[in-house]
Amino acid sequence: MTFNMSNYMHGAIRLKVTGFMPEKFINLCTAQNIYLWKISKKNSDLFVWMKVEDFFLIRPIVRKSRTRVTIVSRYGLPFAAKRLKKRKILLIGPVAFFLVLNVLASFVWFVDVTGVKNLSDSQIKAIAFQQGLKPGVLKSNINTKQIENEILINTPEVAWISVNFIGTRAVIEVVEKTVPKQDDKSPAHIVAGKDGVITEIITLAGQSTLKVGDTVKKGDLLIKGFAPEPVNHQDPSAQPPVISVPPQLIKAKGIVKARVWYESYGETELIKAKHQRTGRQQIGVLLKIGSNEIVLKSAHPEQFGLYDKEVVHKKLPLWRNSDFIVESNIDIYHELDTEWSEMTVEEARDYAKNNALAQIQNLMPETAQILSRKIELIKTEEPNLVRIKATIEVEEDIGKSMIISQQ
Amino acid sequence: MQSRKRGRLQRLAGLLEIPQDIVMDLPRITMLGNRQLLIENHKGIIEYTPSLIRIKLNQGELIVTGADLTLGNLQVEQILVEGTVEELKYDL
Repeated sequence: MTFNMSNYMHGAIRLKVTGFMPEKFINLCTAQNIYLWKISKKNSDLFVWMKVEDFFLIRPIVRKSRTRVTIVSRYGLPFAAKRLKKRKILLIGPVAFFLVLNVLASFVWFVDVTGVKNLSDSQIKAIAFQQGLKPGVLKSNINTKQIENEILINTPEVAWISVNFIGTRAVIEVVEKTVPKQDDKSPAHIVAGKDGVITEIITLAGQSTLKVGDTVKKGDLLIKGFAPEPVNHQDPSAQPPVISVPPQLIKAKGIVKARVWYESYGETELIKAKHQRTGRQQIGVLLKIGSNEIVLKSAHPEQFGLYDKEVVHKKLPLWRNSDFIVESNIDIYHELDTEWSEMTVEEARDYAKNNALAQIQNLMPETAQILSRKIELIKTEEPNLVRIKATIEVEEDIGKSMIISQQ
Repeated sequence: MQSRKRGRLQRLAGLLEIPQDIVMDLPRITMLGNRQLLIENHKGIIEYTPSLIRIKLNQGELIVTGADLTLGNLQVEQILVEGTVEELKYDL
């Protein structure tokens, strides 16, 4: 009712009414349909709010009620406009601000490419650049449909593309086609990837000279990448051709399974020290401004017999590629408590065994088939130590493709 | 004579279910706790100080006493008294 939109638009004033009977002034005003609000009295002075347009009508009322009025404060657009007229730059500033903002927002300032996996950003950006999508151009001059089509035509790897603007940023969204992986057709041998005894050999392409039961070393040739020689059925006793033709090179294919042995050691101590945080901690705070370092709080970890250190590095986030020079370093020192835990020999052995097996597990391929597992306890001179040797025999495909270098 | 006419009017108002304040030209006073007091159908202000307000009615006057009383929204038809109202008295 009081400081609403209408009053703001038309303007309102606060009047101080002095005189013998200010109540008469109020009554006369209401009789004239002059709207008053927030009437209050201080000492013998009456303060009222009224609309500016009503102020020009109260002269006869003032005279009739024998009071004097003075304007105490003003409110509303007409007064604000009057003030602005005196301070023009105050008006020009915001107008210029919004104008500049609007102008700058109508340009493209950044070009981003999202969704690329195998393609490079620059490749797509280059095409966009040729089509006029580059930092500093007017958004309205860019035909996104045309750029989309152009990129689609020029890069066959792209399945779908969309160019749209998010503020001053042009975002090129790319979805790539998933192209089936091309098989390497260049001639290759299959060589052994590991030492082992061959248990199975299936040759799909190429020539194999090995039999089941042969022992191979890592790097040995298993299947040669030569085309099979034509077999002479008519005359098995015929003389082999005198001129040996260099065999045609192909990519060897086949499965060579072999028995492979893995070995690993695991050891544990019977009595082990275990460190635990006690909960007591000290915090050191360091403030870095440029190259200056200010110690806000220094820690004294020497008090703790044993401690570990945790460093919390705090830095303001990057903003538009500008690096903030202020950063803080918080070092937290936790006091440690040593606890000795004792294990039985059986427990220690289990623990060491698990360790050893876990190591082997990393070396074995997932398809390997475990044939046997042997665990040996190794006697050591140290009474506190349990050492274990684990041997695992597995059957796995040891074939590895190796491209034949042609010279 | 005056009272007889009024009595008849009152009965008529009751019969026709018309609010009595319209028929009888009575003030309608609405209080919101002790902090707001809306008086409709008044005839002007006689006296106004922050602790006492005298409002002229059709018949007699209404005396409002309280503390920090202000008149918000003063119009021909209604007065809104704001502040802490302590007492409301009719002086006929």
